Amino acid sequence: MRFRAQLANAATFSKLTASLSSLGKACWMRLEDGIVRFTIIPDQGTQVWAQLPVDAIFEESSYILESNSGVINLEVPIGALHRALRSAVAATSAQLRLTKKGNVPLLALTIHASSWTTGSNALGITDSGHATPTGSVEGEDAGRAGQATTASRPAVVSGPRERETVITQEIPVKVLHESAIEGLHEPRCRDPDVHIILPSLFQLKNISERFTKLATDSKGSAVASTISPKLELSANMHGSLRLAIATDALRISSVWTDLVNPSLDPGQLSQAEIEQLPSERMRALSDNDEAGWAKVRIDGKDWGRVLSVGRLSPKVVACFIHETALILYVYLPGSWNGEDSCLTYYINSYAA
Amino acid sequence: MAALSFSLAPEALYQLHDALTCLAKFYDTVAIEAEYDLLRLSVLNSTKTAYAAFVFEADGFFESYSFDMPWDSRKAGRPDRFCCQLYIKALLSVFKGRTREKDTAVERCEVELHEHPDQTECRLGIKMICGLGVIKSYKLTYEPTTVNHAVFDRTKTTNQWSIEPRFLREITDHFSPSAEQLDIYSDNGKAVFTSFTTKITDGKEILKKPVHTSVAIDKKDFEYFLAEDNLHIIITLKDFKAVIAHAEAANSTITVRYTRPTRPMQLAYDFGGVKTEFTLMTAGDADSDIPDSSRAPELSARQTPAPASVSRANIASNTSHMPPPRARSIRPLTGTPGASARGTETSSESQRPPPASIQFDSLFVPADDDRQWDVPNDEEEEEPEDRLGWDATGDQVRHMKRTFRGALLIQASRHSTRVLPPACKTMSPECLPRTPVMRKRWVFRRRNVYHR
Repeated sequence: MRFRAQLANAATFSKLTASLSSLGKACWMRLEDGIVRFTIIPDQGTQVWAQLPVDAIFEESSYILESNSGVINLEVPIGALHRALRSAVAATSAQLRLTKKGNVPLLALTIHASSWTTGSNALGITDSGHATPTGSVEGEDAGRAGQATTASRPAVVSGPRERETVITQEIPVKVLHESAIEGLHEPRCRDPDVHIILPSLFQLKNISERFTKLATDSKGSAVASTISPKLELSANMHGSLRLAIATDALRISSVWTDLVNPSLDPGQLSQAEIEQLPSERMRALSDNDEAGWAKVRIDGKDWGRVLSVGRLSPKVVACFIHETALILYVYLPGSWNGEDSCLTYYINSYAA
Repeated sequence: MAALSFSLAPEALYQLHDALTCLAKFYDTVAIEAEYDLLRLSVLNSTKTAYAAFVFEADGFFESYSFDMPWDSRKAGRPDRFCCQLYIKALLSVFKGRTREKDTAVERCEVELHEHPDQTECRLGIKMICGLGVIKSYKLTYEPTTVNHAVFDRTKTTNQWSIEPRFLREITDHFSPSAEQLDIYSDNGKAVFTSFTTKITDGKEILKKPVHTSVAIDKKDFEYFLAEDNLHIIITLKDFKAVIAHAEAANSTITVRYTRPTRPMQLAYDFGGVKTEFTLMTAGDADSDIPDSSRAPELSARQTPAPASVSRANIASNTSHMPPPRARSIRPLTGTPGASARGTETSSESQRPPPASIQFDSLFVPADDDRQWDVPNDEEEEEPEDRLGWDATGDQVRHMKRTFRGALLIQASRHSTRVLPPACKTMSPECLPRTPVMRKRWVFRRRNVYHR
């Protein structure tokens, strides 16, 4: 079993792991030929199923994957991986490989970083007093003193100079056997009632957090600490999205209009099939008909963690299944094929 | 009754604040010692594995500085310095860093000690003279204390390097915030810093195992690097970070000295009238790189049972009657300015009989006696005498007391041993120590020692 690859896009990889780590601690990382998958299935809250083409984060030519099944499944502490990757963001090169130390499998990230000295120690001042610290060592220590001066360098540096740092981050991982993951499947849902492209996630996140905070503050503290408030998110097929929260004390909502309800790819579905979809029935309803809105109730804090994926500045299609679930298709920007690199978030709707 | 007063310019005030912030990372109380030509702030952490000291020079740091200890107050055993301790938090709330206030910014700070034997409360009076005629006055209650100095003999240093703290901070930035320890070694032109955590995890919790991070930098990044290759030395990362954070703020190049694992490491740097010294205990494989010849003293040290300071004290007092077998320069980490000179060249003012059976290669602790780094246990404190109980200095202090009182002085001076200036102690009535351990000590001290 062998895996080794040069990072091509450490910044994206780092942001991706940051977003994933907000939802869960352990991540199932599945390395395949051409595709890398990340899956987080927390005990409670939102699931993420992400798949990226290898070249989204790795240099394809350096991607080496050897395994009997052609696939390597790892359980990775995603927070630790993210922290490690932060060292790689400004690096000249970084390599990720699967290795072993004793009995512990590791993902070893080797980073070469270079920077320029400011030349502030370029004064060339050599302190002769310091230069011979072993000179006064006597007797039994004399032998050691000889070894001690294996490397010495007078501090004569002129001007700025390139300095290289090698950073090795060793993240302990667990290699998962195929049997451990065969029971894991992506959730299956019925066709959505409404699909809509979300507005700026940054804006959405800020407003959602403000709503959540208002609702938390208006509640009694004892209740607030145990149950986080539920946001009502709804949308119709006429480009409107509504974010609302209601408590005994307040009822607030924000509405976005003129958003895009993306059209479905005719290459995937025939015209006849498209006409059968619930979303087309919803589209047929007038835009001021309340029945044309599909609504879900989601946990405010969990929603905030989901929206942290905004740091990747993606395009997000939200699919509403009325009173059942919200599915987000998060497409990463960039040159790679959008169809291949997608993070899918499955968010359950709470009962009213 | 000691008289101490000094004043500080705003810039010095900020430096004092920075120093206190740094010291606060080691422990919650700071020992303050005043001498004629310096003021020293030092902290020994609770596990006694790290010691930090800032020495502010009377001439270089203060606007004005005056200290006087009248002769009549210098009783036997009481050295010519004043010592007390305070909560660092209390000091930090007084000595704040740079503030945004413009009009009422501090223009000068005056500190005065109020120590009167006939008063029940002894206080440190601090006056902040601010703009627009605003004067802020603070009175802080201090506690008596016995100051322990970690001792580090620079002449025995076998490994030494010096580097800008910025480079070290860049290294520690890569470490996981939960990392606890730092291993330093060099290999083929590279210096390698590895952070790790010695946490016991069972096999199922692989994912909870801490990340190991190692950062290798070129030896060229150092001002100079004189250390044995492949000598792994391990220190506590938190202490290391505390030092480099301050050194970076002070923009001073750090010099690091050590001999080998299980012996202390000293980090030091000086700037504008301030001298700093940090002595950290190290761990690692002590025997790995040591020639056989140098092991002999360690073995003898192991034979002397030193779990408690009782036995250590006995050893010391027994050996004190023997002619000192050798003269070694033993200096306190933060001796008075020129202490090194005094320590090595004069022998008249105080004496320290070196124990015959324990060689102090580095003197921070007797060789290989790890237990001295442990938390002191309470039984130890039951000894009805001032007991410092943590390192060689502790014994020395005890000896100093006897020395000054009796014949040991003469005997010892006859043999011209190298000496250690006594650690100081000052007591004030009604200034109760706060920790239980200290309280016990205090009880004895008040009963037996403290009569004015």
